[in-house]
Amino acid sequence: MNLIKCSSVALAISLSISFVQVLAKDLDELKIKVSTTPSIAGKVPENIDSATPGLMPTKPLEDIPDDIMDIINTLPKAKSDFIKSGKSSGVLKKDILFDLISSASTDETEEYVDTIMSIYDQMEFKKGRDIEAIELNKSSPNFNSWRLKRPQSMNPDREPGPISLGRYIGGGRSGIPTFANAPVALTPEDLIAGEVDVAILGAPLDMGSGWRDAIHGPRAMRMLRRGTGGTDVSTLINPSSVLNIVDYGNVAIDQLSTERSVQEVRKMVREIAETGAIPIIIGGDHSLEYPNVAAMADVYGKGKVAVVHFDAHLDTGRGRVHLLSHGQPIYRLMKEAHVRPEDFIQVGLRAHYSKSYYEWEKEIGMKYHTMAEVERRGWDAVMERVIKEATENTDYLYVSFDVDVLDPAFQPGTGTPVSAGLTMREAIPIVRRLCAETKLVGFDIVELAPALDSTYVSALNANSLMFACLTGIAMHKKGITEKGFISELSSDHAQDNYYGDNK
Amino acid sequence: MNPITYLLSKSNAFVATTLLMMFLTACSTNTNDSVSANVTLPPTENLKLRLLTEDELAFLRDAKRLRWFNLTKEKVLNQLAHRDAQQVKKYVIDMMATISAAGFQEGQDSASNIKDSILEPLSTTADSTSIPLNTDAPGYNKRKIIKPAILDKFKRTPGPINLQRYVHERDGIPTFANSPVAIRIEDLVAGQVEIAFVGVPLALGSGWRDSQHAPTVLRGMYGLGGYDIAGGVDPTLILNIADFGNIATAYLSTELNIEHIRKQIGEMVKAGTVPFIVGGDHSIMYSTVAAMADNYGKENISVIQLDAHYNGALGLDHYYSDKQSVSRLLQDGLVQAENLVQIGLRGPSQDKEALEWLRSQGVKYHTMVEIETSGWDYVVNSTMKQATGVGKSFISFDMSVLDPAYAHGAGRPVPGGISTLQARSLVRRLCAETEVVGFEMLDIAPYLDLSYKTALTANYIMHACLTGIAMRKVGLTQPDYLDPLALSE
Repeated sequence: MNLIKCSSVALAISLSISFVQVLAKDLDELKIKVSTTPSIAGKVPENIDSATPGLMPTKPLEDIPDDIMDIINTLPKAKSDFIKSGKSSGVLKKDILFDLISSASTDETEEYVDTIMSIYDQMEFKKGRDIEAIELNKSSPNFNSWRLKRPQSMNPDREPGPISLGRYIGGGRSGIPTFANAPVALTPEDLIAGEVDVAILGAPLDMGSGWRDAIHGPRAMRMLRRGTGGTDVSTLINPSSVLNIVDYGNVAIDQLSTERSVQEVRKMVREIAETGAIPIIIGGDHSLEYPNVAAMADVYGKGKVAVVHFDAHLDTGRGRVHLLSHGQPIYRLMKEAHVRPEDFIQVGLRAHYSKSYYEWEKEIGMKYHTMAEVERRGWDAVMERVIKEATENTDYLYVSFDVDVLDPAFQPGTGTPVSAGLTMREAIPIVRRLCAETKLVGFDIVELAPALDSTYVSALNANSLMFACLTGIAMHKKGITEKGFISELSSDHAQDNYYGDNK
Repeated sequence: MNPITYLLSKSNAFVATTLLMMFLTACSTNTNDSVSANVTLPPTENLKLRLLTEDELAFLRDAKRLRWFNLTKEKVLNQLAHRDAQQVKKYVIDMMATISAAGFQEGQDSASNIKDSILEPLSTTADSTSIPLNTDAPGYNKRKIIKPAILDKFKRTPGPINLQRYVHERDGIPTFANSPVAIRIEDLVAGQVEIAFVGVPLALGSGWRDSQHAPTVLRGMYGLGGYDIAGGVDPTLILNIADFGNIATAYLSTELNIEHIRKQIGEMVKAGTVPFIVGGDHSIMYSTVAAMADNYGKENISVIQLDAHYNGALGLDHYYSDKQSVSRLLQDGLVQAENLVQIGLRGPSQDKEALEWLRSQGVKYHTMVEIETSGWDYVVNSTMKQATGVGKSFISFDMSVLDPAYAHGAGRPVPGGISTLQARSLVRRLCAETEVVGFEMLDIAPYLDLSYKTALTANYIMHACLTGIAMRKVGLTQPDYLDPLALSE
């Protein structure tokens, strides 16, 4: 135990010394104000809309050469003002514009500007001209059918409680594929009667921007029975014997609308959490983080839950035509004050987001740990810091695990893969520790897209991550709170003090 | 033995069930529309059903409402056998309550989406009649605005641009049929382009969603160029072909794409081209056929749909999707039912109601059952007769029409389809013997096929149409023309 701590500290120190020279000191970065006062729980952060990451704000054109300024000034005032305002930059970069008009006649210049102004006018939303909402067919006899529940009275009468699908006294597998081979629960009454600790819910929302097949994520994890059973080697704990785990089936999804689907997801996740069980949501795309965490706020209070977001992507998009997509859940959660920016901890970021995204996160005070940080500090140091941050502000933690945080070598079956990610040997300990050493209230695994992987690997790794979290939850239930706990019996043949670090 | 125990007794359950079924069936046939007040029920039933109202009894006799729960009268009677009168009452009431909640309920959209004085714009969308969009989004319409040539940094004369450096270059920058690129409508016009390929990468279909990658994958696969033995022509030589790039799509909503695709395809038609559209899922058919109707008049076009799916679903909550492109086109008067031919229907998405609906609309449909019984030639001849009678044709080709053996990379595959050979000969004939005004290749899911097979097959089918169009251009329009050299003497 001590060895791990010592080596990680030593590693961190040596890394920080050797890499200190390459630390970029970009003047623009220093200009960003870092908020020092904590956000107030339940209140929308004031600077949340200070910038739209990925989008340059409209600024008046600077550095207009004199000869170009002379040409602009010959235009009617409305047109010259338009150019000077910088609005034209959204249509055409200023350098190209200057280049074009520098050799143009007066008429041509005016035509250029008219064209740009006309395009600018088409670009922005105009009431009456552009649709502002997607109308649904109210007269459909099946308007609500997609989310209507089958009455339980249609089943044979039974006492509430998890339904065990096995036939044999020797246990084993029943034949019906369920998450972690767990019994099935259909209602909150089943969860309460069964004193369920963990309810695993499939949420097959399939609206990702890359390769799609997240619809089959839950099915792939249920069907691959490997990875979810037995005893964890690091802790020698068998989560299935310690915990009451159930498969809570799937939540209804409208595959033509993220927006409609997430409301049903929020209700179902809330329904689980209200019984005291920990929901584990198997996606589905990462839009699900919004309803999942909003449901946590519904149950535990706004600003009371911290979120560790494992992902190659920042998912802080905003200012897009749709209010939610798998690139925007974090913004939506903060915009509605479900989670405070400083309680969002991102791990594994490396997709090609523009600088402005990081500037915005810095300004509003989010915590992010990119693969650059892993490169600079080493994984152990980053892991220790994430675990520390996950517990310092709030009593409760939610973990959202996008499988694309893993390197594609471990997870080819995902819709928007990015190279150079975490290994399974890095991911397993951090997930187990987060689920063990905090008061975990919910967990999700999202973006598994089985069609991209003709082997079992992606599903096996997803199941193994879920197993790591189940192990952590079981440790927590058993009262094991030691940081980085590893069973003495599970290493060094448990018979001597070869490394000299036994307590 | 009293009636209840008789009913519950296993050995007699079958007899009881049969008897009850006969009674209920008799009742239901007598009371089709209104619930008769004087239904006589057998004694066994009276005991079980004594707490039910007339409405509730009517529900149990209503095959349509039972089917909504995947139930038949036989299955219901089996359920009743294991319940007492109270439980039967609850069983029926719960089901009726569920089904009555299926439609939009007055007032269900009146909940506030402000919680703790914070706006949560999505908190009521599951209940409301519209999905809100973010109208504050900067550049709300940006994705579908076309940059005019005047704003090009480097000016050029309009016309297709050949991206090949060498005279005889095969690979290099992938384009459809290795053809030059037309960026704007002006390029199509200036180049007098006859065939313009265009990709529409929209993957919101009801099956595997990977059709957004089909345009790229087909561009990267050969099979669209060169000589065709059956037709005796090289369409890539005879025809003036261009790759018109892709039409921009909004990936989160079918609805946001409908008008833009319709307009863009319409522009391609006005530019004098025959669009070859590579989807995308089958929801695109609404926009493409609408564009054809806009420009040629629906009465002048046959729409020949090769597809395992009829795509005629009715009464769905969303207005547009792959499942309802045909019903939407018919309801909006954009296609004439008698000019619509569907070939290759099979699988459970066509139920009795679907087929009855197709028949009542007057759609000419040819299921795989018909192909099996009457033969492929019969279906081809019937289709050719229909299409040549009208003159102009639009071909909507869904990859699912082929048997998965030939194209397992289809978004909605169904076993038991037609062969590549059958598809190719029909498509070539349609394109030679009628004036084809557009062709679409829809719902290919490349990631389901680790081999080259689906992509190559798709390109060969489009090549068959190119061949037909080239044959027509050189005057080879006689029925079922085959080049003499294709056959041994």
